[in-house]
Amino acid sequence: MKSFLKSAVFTLCILGFFVFVCMYVTGLSGGGGGGGGATGINPEAGEKIYWGDGQCHTCHSIGTSGSATRGPNQEGLAARAEERAKEAGLSSGLEYLVESIVNPSAFVVEGYDNIMPKVYDAPIMLDREQIQAVLTYLQTLGGESNIEAVAKFAEKIPEASGEAVAPWLPPIDVDIKEGELVFFDESRGVTCSKCHVLNGKGSKVGPDLTGIGAVQTPEYLIESVLKPSEIIVKGFETMYLMTTEGMAYNGLLVSQDEDEIVLMVDEDGVMEEYVFYPDEIAQMQKQEVSIMPGNFRDMLTTKEFYGVIMFLLSQK
Amino acid sequence: MNSKKLNFKIVFTIFLALFLVALTVNTGMAEEGAEETVAVEASGDAGEVAEAEEEVASVPYEEAEYRNFFGIDGRLIVWIISQLHLLFAAFVLAVPLFVVIIEAIGAKSNQIKFDNLARELTKLLSTAFATTAALGGLLAFALYGLYPGFMRYMTDVFHPYMFVYALCFFGEVFFLYAYYYSWDLLRTGTGKWVHVFLGVMLNVFGTTLMMLANSWATFMMAPAGIDMKTGAILDRGAAFHNFLWMPVNIHRIIANVAFGGFVVGAYAAVKFMGSKTEEDKAHYDWMGYIGNFIGLAAFIPLPFAGYYLGREIYSASPVMGNIMMGGAFSWTFIIQAILIGMMFVGGNYYLWNGMARIKGAERYTPYIKYINIVIFFCFAVWLTPHNLPLSGEERALIGEQYHPFSKFFGVMAAKNAVVNLLILSTFFSFLLYRRANKGQTMPFKSHGNGAKITMVFTVGITIAYLAWYAMGLKGQDLSEVVKPYMSPLLTCITIQIIALICALFLTLANKGKLAQTLLFVVAASISVVYFWYYGFVLMEKANMVLRFLSVTQVSIVISTLIVNTVIDVFLFKNAKEVGGIQWGKIPNRAQYALLLLCVAIVTLMGLMGFIRSGLRMNWHVYGFMQDKSAGAFTPSIAYMGWVVSLIVFLFLAIVAIVFWLGSLYGRKEKHV
Repeated sequence: MKSFLKSAVFTLCILGFFVFVCMYVTGLSGGGGGGGGATGINPEAGEKIYWGDGQCHTCHSIGTSGSATRGPNQEGLAARAEERAKEAGLSSGLEYLVESIVNPSAFVVEGYDNIMPKVYDAPIMLDREQIQAVLTYLQTLGGESNIEAVAKFAEKIPEASGEAVAPWLPPIDVDIKEGELVFFDESRGVTCSKCHVLNGKGSKVGPDLTGIGAVQTPEYLIESVLKPSEIIVKGFETMYLMTTEGMAYNGLLVSQDEDEIVLMVDEDGVMEEYVFYPDEIAQMQKQEVSIMPGNFRDMLTTKEFYGVIMFLLSQK
Repeated sequence: MNSKKLNFKIVFTIFLALFLVALTVNTGMAEEGAEETVAVEASGDAGEVAEAEEEVASVPYEEAEYRNFFGIDGRLIVWIISQLHLLFAAFVLAVPLFVVIIEAIGAKSNQIKFDNLARELTKLLSTAFATTAALGGLLAFALYGLYPGFMRYMTDVFHPYMFVYALCFFGEVFFLYAYYYSWDLLRTGTGKWVHVFLGVMLNVFGTTLMMLANSWATFMMAPAGIDMKTGAILDRGAAFHNFLWMPVNIHRIIANVAFGGFVVGAYAAVKFMGSKTEEDKAHYDWMGYIGNFIGLAAFIPLPFAGYYLGREIYSASPVMGNIMMGGAFSWTFIIQAILIGMMFVGGNYYLWNGMARIKGAERYTPYIKYINIVIFFCFAVWLTPHNLPLSGEERALIGEQYHPFSKFFGVMAAKNAVVNLLILSTFFSFLLYRRANKGQTMPFKSHGNGAKITMVFTVGITIAYLAWYAMGLKGQDLSEVVKPYMSPLLTCITIQIIALICALFLTLANKGKLAQTLLFVVAASISVVYFWYYGFVLMEKANMVLRFLSVTQVSIVISTLIVNTVIDVFLFKNAKEVGGIQWGKIPNRAQYALLLLCVAIVTLMGLMGFIRSGLRMNWHVYGFMQDKSAGAFTPSIAYMGWVVSLIVFLFLAIVAIVFWLGSLYGRKEKHV
């Protein structure tokens, strides 16, 4: 029995080590990612798709970013596309890029295999808007993006071939109205509107959530509520500031110029603006932890939580 | 008879448990209907009841696509059950493969200890079999219950094969019980070989079962024989014999044998540590050695089979291949490297500890520290990621995106080189173990013509394979720019062929050790040193030749392993023994190495199961049927870690219970 117990403990230690490695690797690789960020037709959204859903990075690296070598390195692509367009008798570098995505076999760069898939077909299935976003991003690689020009090629880009994915549903029955109540209920400590504006109501401490359902996925919203520090929207990072007198402050950066720095600091549940002058700042540093509380798991019931998520998803 | 009763009891207990679970599930379903009935009854008089019934009757029937399991995500339930089923299935499929060989060795050499070992392992098998079947049933219920839409389609495509599966299952049950219960009846003479035949048939049915189920899983990854837009079945045979079917079959058979060997090793380790008598210790020490030997023997070629599978996945779908090696799953291969590294270290550690019980082994112990250094170096390179995330400050400090040294270890060229070195080192360890108590060897010619024929045949086959592969390389349709980069590969194959021929002549001239050394040096110089460097050249200049480089690398190493094994067998045949092997005189710490090997391979199978299944991303049938359920997203690695650990814990706990139940009957006879 003793030897069996020793074996059991040893086994649990190995499993513990395995879990530790998995958790460590998750942190190292940037976690689940969440898939958040910009949407629409713009270079920011295109960059997200390039390194995410579009899976472009698994074959193409850009300069020293990424390590893929199956396809050509895309550094300076826009300038190269112009030259190739001339050689191929096309009107512009953009047309060359569009043609290369719509029909990947049309121009295969010498030294590379004809392996690029049609990204609007299964299994990648980017929709027309996503492909346009990627095009605007590719334009920035050695050039400048021109969204208007990209829009002109919209008809030439096929729509994704697969059918639409059924809408996400929470695992339990919830009431959107209840979610709305929780969002705006100021009598509770979990009031979302205390920091987020939605349709003009609420405070502007965190990002404006008006129309959030149209641009974000349920997974992103769930993760953002449960783990606010996983993805911090640009411009809403927490700043740590220490004065020359040794006073430390954590807050959101409202404005910064040569004369002063304004931080929004949480003072016992009330957000207040603090102004600091350069000569009184000893240290200032961006934090990786969001100012948004990370304990909603304990403060909301499962029903309330999914209610809030469904309410946000309905905001389109 | 007692054994029979016990088995019936086990089967009945599991059946009862399943029945109760099914009953609970049905109760849940019945209650949903019951609520409506109660509501109707409460609503008033008979007329109203009739009206309500009419209403109920007019409610249209909707086919569910997905369900959850009492609020728990259906995918999690299916994940756990299917992996548990797969682990048990791997055990009950693998153990008969080597049990029959062990029994045949016993019958041929007239050594009862082999027969007893085979019988003891079969006893474990018979108790684990019922659990496998029960989990298989549970998995089928879970799939049909929680993913009805998807299973409807899979049944449409594969229903003829499902009947064949059921038939094979009956065949396996019949031969398993016939094999186990006829052990005493068919103990001697021709009867023994009839018994071995029963074991072979058990394997035939078991392997067929596995291959049938594999085709369903691989169809989901690389569908064939269907219209990819409508799903209409165009060629059922092609759907069955899809592109990834054979690579997965090969990989699974080898992996199952390694898995079975290491589970047996762990069983022996626990028994060894609990043994009270020297006789018991000797028996379980020997059993642990056999388990480890089988596990390692299958584990060494496993990376090659894995590479072949990975290559075929890439060929079947470059997108899926990219997700695997360069996308969402690339980090899981770092974890895989850690687990495999742990196994190589554990396996070697056990072998080195085992040398302590062999007189004469002290001649070789000084080499162990060097092998250790090589293994840890390989381990470190294998788990070095290429794109280690660096902070802005770190990047500014080193002046580029990647670390100036570690970036060279992170790419496939380096990883392939160290995997081959790891395999060569472990093989070298094993050769040291084999010759630990051997002294003066016999001249090769004393082994007769049979030895000569075997040597010539083995070298001939390996050369034929290398030549065939080289011809294939030569015939590749490549552009003129890339073609020159193939020549070094052809030159290396030619050098290896020459080395093999030299090794043959050296062996025939009684210089077997020199022949082995020559092959080791040539293989390590080409496959490890030169190809490591040449891999970088190809990455820079002719990326598409890289895939041929890896196969050339593997082919050279594997030809060395095969020929060196055969040379070793004849080199030490009838050699003088410096000292005997003292079974049971192995330190307890070596048993923990056996445990480590078992836990690591079970975890590895869980991890690889996650990767293989997860590669489909949000597709049930890749490229045709989308997974539209709430769980259709790739979980984080941390989440995977917790789930896989839970599965491993459950598996080991059930195995412990099942083996304990099996051990309740009588006590084995020890013959070591």
